[in-house]
Amino acid sequence: MPVKFADVSYVYNKKSPMAFEALKHINIEIKEGSFTAIVGRTGCGKSTLVSHINALLNPSEGEVIIDEFVNSADKKKRTKKLKDLRKKVGLVFQFPEYQLFEETVEKDVAFGPKNFGMKEEDALKAAHEALLEVGLNEGFFKRSPFELSGGEKRRVSIAGILACKPNYLVVDEPTAGLDPLGSKDMMDLFEKVHQAGTTIILVTHDMNLVLNYCDSVIVMDNGEVAKITDPISLFGEDIEKYSLETPLLYKLVKDLNAKGKDIDVAKVKDISTLLDQLRISKEAK
Amino acid sequence: MKNFALGRYIPYNSFIHKLDPRVKILGIVLLMVCVFLNFTHPVVNDAGETVKATYWTMTAIMQGSVFVLSILLLWISHMSFRSVLASLRSLWFTLIFLLVIYILVPTQTVMQLGLAWRVEAWNWSVYWDSFADAGKIMLRLMNMLMLTMVLTGTTKPLDLTYALEWYMAPLKVLHFPAAEVAMTISIALRFIPTLLEDSMRIMKAQSSRGVDFAHGNILKRITGVTSLIIPLFVSSFLRSEELANAMECRGYDPRAKRTRYRLLKFGWRDIFGFIIPAALLGLYIWWSVDSSVFTQFVLSGVVLP
Repeated sequence: MPVKFADVSYVYNKKSPMAFEALKHINIEIKEGSFTAIVGRTGCGKSTLVSHINALLNPSEGEVIIDEFVNSADKKKRTKKLKDLRKKVGLVFQFPEYQLFEETVEKDVAFGPKNFGMKEEDALKAAHEALLEVGLNEGFFKRSPFELSGGEKRRVSIAGILACKPNYLVVDEPTAGLDPLGSKDMMDLFEKVHQAGTTIILVTHDMNLVLNYCDSVIVMDNGEVAKITDPISLFGEDIEKYSLETPLLYKLVKDLNAKGKDIDVAKVKDISTLLDQLRISKEAK
Repeated sequence: MKNFALGRYIPYNSFIHKLDPRVKILGIVLLMVCVFLNFTHPVVNDAGETVKATYWTMTAIMQGSVFVLSILLLWISHMSFRSVLASLRSLWFTLIFLLVIYILVPTQTVMQLGLAWRVEAWNWSVYWDSFADAGKIMLRLMNMLMLTMVLTGTTKPLDLTYALEWYMAPLKVLHFPAAEVAMTISIALRFIPTLLEDSMRIMKAQSSRGVDFAHGNILKRITGVTSLIIPLFVSSFLRSEELANAMECRGYDPRAKRTRYRLLKFGWRDIFGFIIPAALLGLYIWWSVDSSVFTQFVLSGVVLP
């Protein structure tokens, strides 16, 4: 079942001079099993939008339906068991390393599963699995999360969400502040999680990631949904008005075509697919 | 946790917002003194001696007037009553606590309001005076809260700091570091919203890891709060270090002579802002010293109990 936003609006500081309408009548549907990107300029409401999926914010108008859960403006319609919803939807915030607090890495990662009712040992086991998954080996388990580097801290906090085994994983700018290699590892990790059947919702500014990994894109502009599409058709349009940047790879293919190559731009997602397409066009000649 | 109405600046353009912060501080302090005055009158006790005891009618009327005035001030400054009421709602526990204390340990020397009930078996009596005492303190608390809200709700934190610095200026003669103290206060005030934002963010992050801050048993809630406080500590230490570095990079010298972009100026409104509270305080002091004047002026014709 999908995540569905039905006419959702959200106003910050309602009924005060500082009132600010962050979301305006959002109608979207995020399919189960998809790798969806939410893009748009800073302050366009992306983070507010994803907070609704986890019922961290309740809509001012309309409702969000996540499987059997309802997050509605109407208090009576709202699902009461938020814990079940939050187990199902893992939300990784921007700079998640600020949420670490336990003495050891494994305890911190096991914190989520324990809250969701797992037994101590099972939680630790899930924590170890999640830590290995994010590329932190046994040597890290007993260390204090505060002595790790920024990138390692981020891995720990993401492991903290993965250990809860969510069906939907929402990640808000997971690569911000990471070095290029670190970002690639991080994204490959999400790709792996996606392959395993988790729906991934990625909030990002980096169009290269969108091209490489996502299968659908939601463009937000000033609190409204400007476009729901797939990456290739998005980059075919003028996207500067949403202050989005065309991915380098897409530009490269366009430039190559302009110089006389004949590559199917719709099939190029990353370097290996580019090579495939080059081979195909060579054979065709 | 969502209710931070208390002490938050709310941008409107009312008469009180336009007052000079220095006058506002002084005015509020004067009104606060009114809140803390005691009103007594001579009463004959059981032994036949004349002693001073709380003059309940007068206290009720005088503190009630401050209450009405505070509400008026809140109304003028466009503050929402709902947020005031919401912050008062948490005071019910204080009221019960006060009641228990005053019933167990009556402070009045002469009981003027009569016996509420008596437990013969323990030879223990409860007087209405205890309730009146608790009520008096509650009224004081509420008055204080509302007056503070008027001050902080209508004055930008930075303006408040400037005003405080202005008041501390004479102390510079005694080498009191007024500018540094003002700087410290303004930094502290500046970081309240940032810390709130941080704590909201961390709360959200921990909620999505299954922490329930509002429900559950005590032990679970304590872990919940720890998961909020430790990251908050870490991030505030990081922030303070960053701020110190940033200030040093820009060559901040606490002893340097500095100028101001925003200058505080007294205007015609400020005359009212000073005269009204001052006159009120004068009146209150006069009547609290000599309560017979009050009896004559205000209560003449009203039959006293």
